[in-house]
Amino acid sequence: MIQDVIKDKKSLFDTASQTILREQENKARMVVIQQGSIVANTSQQSAGICARVYKNGVYGFSSIAEVSGEAAERVLKAATENADVLEKHAVKKKAPFSPYKNGMVLPKKCIEDLEQKKIIDFCKDVDTYIAGKYTDLVNRRVIYREDSAEKFIYTSDACDGHTIYPRCAIYISMAVAGKDGNPVELMDYFGGNGNLSDHVNNIEDVYKRADDLYNTLRLKAEGVYADAGVKTVILDPDVAGMIAHEAVGHTVEADLVLGGSVAGPNLNKQVASELISIVDFANEAFGQTTDIPVYLDDEGIEAQDAVLIENGILKSYMHNRETADHFGVKPMGNARGWGFSDEPLIRMRNTCVLPGKDKLEDMIASVDDGYYLTKTGNGQADLTGEFMFGINMGYEIKKGKLGKAILDTTVSGVAFDMLKSVDMVSDVPTWSNCGTCGKKQPMCVTMGGPSIKCKLMIGGR
Amino acid sequence: MADLRTVSNTVKELIEKKKINKAHYTVLETETRELTYEGGDVKLLRTLFDRKVNVKLIQDGKLGSSGINDFNEKAIDKALDEALAAAEAGAPDDAYDIAPSIGEQSFSSGVLEPDMGKLIERTIELAKDIEKQYPKILVMTMIAEYSRVNKIYRNTNGSEAEIKTGNYSVVVEFAGNDGNKTTGISAVSAETLSLDKPFIEIDSFREGLKAGEDSLNETGFEGKFEGKVIFTPDCLGQVLSFCANCFITDDAILDPSSLWNGKIGEKVASDCLTIKLAPSDDRIIGKGFVTADGFREKDISVVENGVLKNYLVSLYTSKKQNVKAAENDGNGWIIEGGDTSFEDMVKGVKRGLIVGSVSAGYPGSNAELSGVAKNAFYIEDGKIKGAVSETMISVNLAEMLKNVAAISKETWKTGESVLPYICFDKIVISGK
Repeated sequence: MIQDVIKDKKSLFDTASQTILREQENKARMVVIQQGSIVANTSQQSAGICARVYKNGVYGFSSIAEVSGEAAERVLKAATENADVLEKHAVKKKAPFSPYKNGMVLPKKCIEDLEQKKIIDFCKDVDTYIAGKYTDLVNRRVIYREDSAEKFIYTSDACDGHTIYPRCAIYISMAVAGKDGNPVELMDYFGGNGNLSDHVNNIEDVYKRADDLYNTLRLKAEGVYADAGVKTVILDPDVAGMIAHEAVGHTVEADLVLGGSVAGPNLNKQVASELISIVDFANEAFGQTTDIPVYLDDEGIEAQDAVLIENGILKSYMHNRETADHFGVKPMGNARGWGFSDEPLIRMRNTCVLPGKDKLEDMIASVDDGYYLTKTGNGQADLTGEFMFGINMGYEIKKGKLGKAILDTTVSGVAFDMLKSVDMVSDVPTWSNCGTCGKKQPMCVTMGGPSIKCKLMIGGR
Repeated sequence: MADLRTVSNTVKELIEKKKINKAHYTVLETETRELTYEGGDVKLLRTLFDRKVNVKLIQDGKLGSSGINDFNEKAIDKALDEALAAAEAGAPDDAYDIAPSIGEQSFSSGVLEPDMGKLIERTIELAKDIEKQYPKILVMTMIAEYSRVNKIYRNTNGSEAEIKTGNYSVVVEFAGNDGNKTTGISAVSAETLSLDKPFIEIDSFREGLKAGEDSLNETGFEGKFEGKVIFTPDCLGQVLSFCANCFITDDAILDPSSLWNGKIGEKVASDCLTIKLAPSDDRIIGKGFVTADGFREKDISVVENGVLKNYLVSLYTSKKQNVKAAENDGNGWIIEGGDTSFEDMVKGVKRGLIVGSVSAGYPGSNAELSGVAKNAFYIEDGKIKGAVSETMISVNLAEMLKNVAAISKETWKTGESVLPYICFDKIVISGK
């Protein structure tokens, strides 16, 4: 745990500005074993202090890689000077942010350091198991990644607090030769809040995951290319969560709305089937703490859930203090920065499609000719809501039954068009807890949802 | 400003005291000054000061590494102990090594003292130029930055390199907008050492902004066909990055199933294709001087007249797989201009696309690329018919490189790369 060295510096805040002072430490660990060799074995630590000063519509920001009272004074001075310089060039002057309550928010969990030896031993153990049991693999990797952050936040006119985000991810990937001799690969991952010991109680569970991954990979190696075109598909939670984040979430970040996103003219309009509701949860969902629990954001706003789509109607955007004022709403705690030198940006937290009432087996039975898409590795979307996701695993559905596995493909569509085509939503949501979102800075996020049935464009060859 | 040499000496003394077999370490300071222009006005000015000590060590044949951003001796001591503990927990591997000595060297390049007043002036001027000359462009964000790095690299084989670099960069994110309709996001970016001329004159900016406006004029086609795709230089950079990841970098060469494994000296691309990494070229601003492994950075040919010449691999991978280490971290991608003008290239397309970027994940080791063509225009009978959306392209990258139809005379020099337009044949294109 880091020492709070900035608490008594609030007295130095410029009274004509709205100021945030933040002390932060990020820790990262990475172990990579590829084909039995340790190719990465590293720990990284970075700490520092930053200040952001808001004045008449412009921001000054400064950071320094030093944790001391003197460093806090220097960044406060530099950030104020930067705001003063910029104010001279600004065309439009803006009012201060709307008042917000004062308060103190404290963390509910600590970051616990784990010996690197335990991590390496775990990775070696899993790799040895896979190498010994599956001798036909042409490539294998076991990866452990940890990226945790701890912050002290002091503000001139909002809440102060101490926040902690411990997080880890474990990846297992395998490849076998496909029918044409070319490699076919598949990856499984798990993790979330905490470190290795929070997610692996029994190594046998990890072996079971590796077994399942291999068996699924074998089906994929015998797989076929999907037929290109607009198809009826069932998206597993892994894929549906990606839709919630990439295709909907980004378009309703208020800074992108102001940049012309498709969500701009659609507030309070029907943008999806009535079966679709999407929420960006702050710290608790379905009665449980989320894996990225945000209690206080980096502008000193207490985090609350943001309901983005409710029964198909676009209900709200995600905001920082400035955009909340612009749209005349309350901020819900979405402004976060990744490292000590990063300014807070509007970011998602735990974004999820809410479950419906259908059973997955009924959904599959209802498809005459389509696909069940179970794993995605990546996704992108832009202002228009046009999105793509890579599909790493899936199956044909023929006459209501699962058929052959399919090889890697891509799906694409326009978010609001696709969501309007949803006609079944399953009753069980699951989370993907290892996401890292990229938007100028990286950011830890989770995404989730149930299975959904819809129409979208699937790529083929 | 800390004395980097004093900090580096501290690291050296601690390494000797701990009797570490082999190590290399970098001590560095960075300064970043960044202006953000957003919503039609200046928005944010940041000054960032960071520092780092990065150590990679090999003890009893085992690897450990750590990094901190603290110059305090106790913190450095702790970081070294963490790296040692990590190594102790690892496994020995003969392939772990550090580069041989490059002796004592000193490098300095670029702008070491920024003119922030001028940078702010040029950025505001660019916003005004875009507003006036490209009225259907909505600028979302413009970030102009000055960054400077001072560092000292050393290793236990006797290398010592002091490196000072600095440069400006600018990136503009924008969309075409006519009031009722907004296109997808586009971006133009470049690094520069000079603020003498307006940013709008930078290679690629006018073409990129014009394409953004043209994207408002949509056309479409139905179905699927095999045709030609012209990648813009920016998009070509993205596609080269996909290819590097699939074929020539550490991950690919450590993967026995990678498609170019064992193919040095073999033909992997069309005869007309020569791809090199040449950070020493005057057109390249991003010079590293010393690689992450500790080699003096060199220019290398990756593909020469279609023949694979070098992989882009680290010392570890080179020893593990018995191939030559790249001695280049991937800086300075250059494909020289060809003999076809862009105009003639378009005329040579019976049916196909111009693609400004591909929305796709990194292809796997089988090199199958399938993604959405963004900032894309449909060509029929040698004429650009209009912009397209919801259009996908699919191709195997290894096959694609063997199907170069033409390389443009025109190149874009962004400071990071020099690349032309390239037209590839036999790419599957699917419309709505």
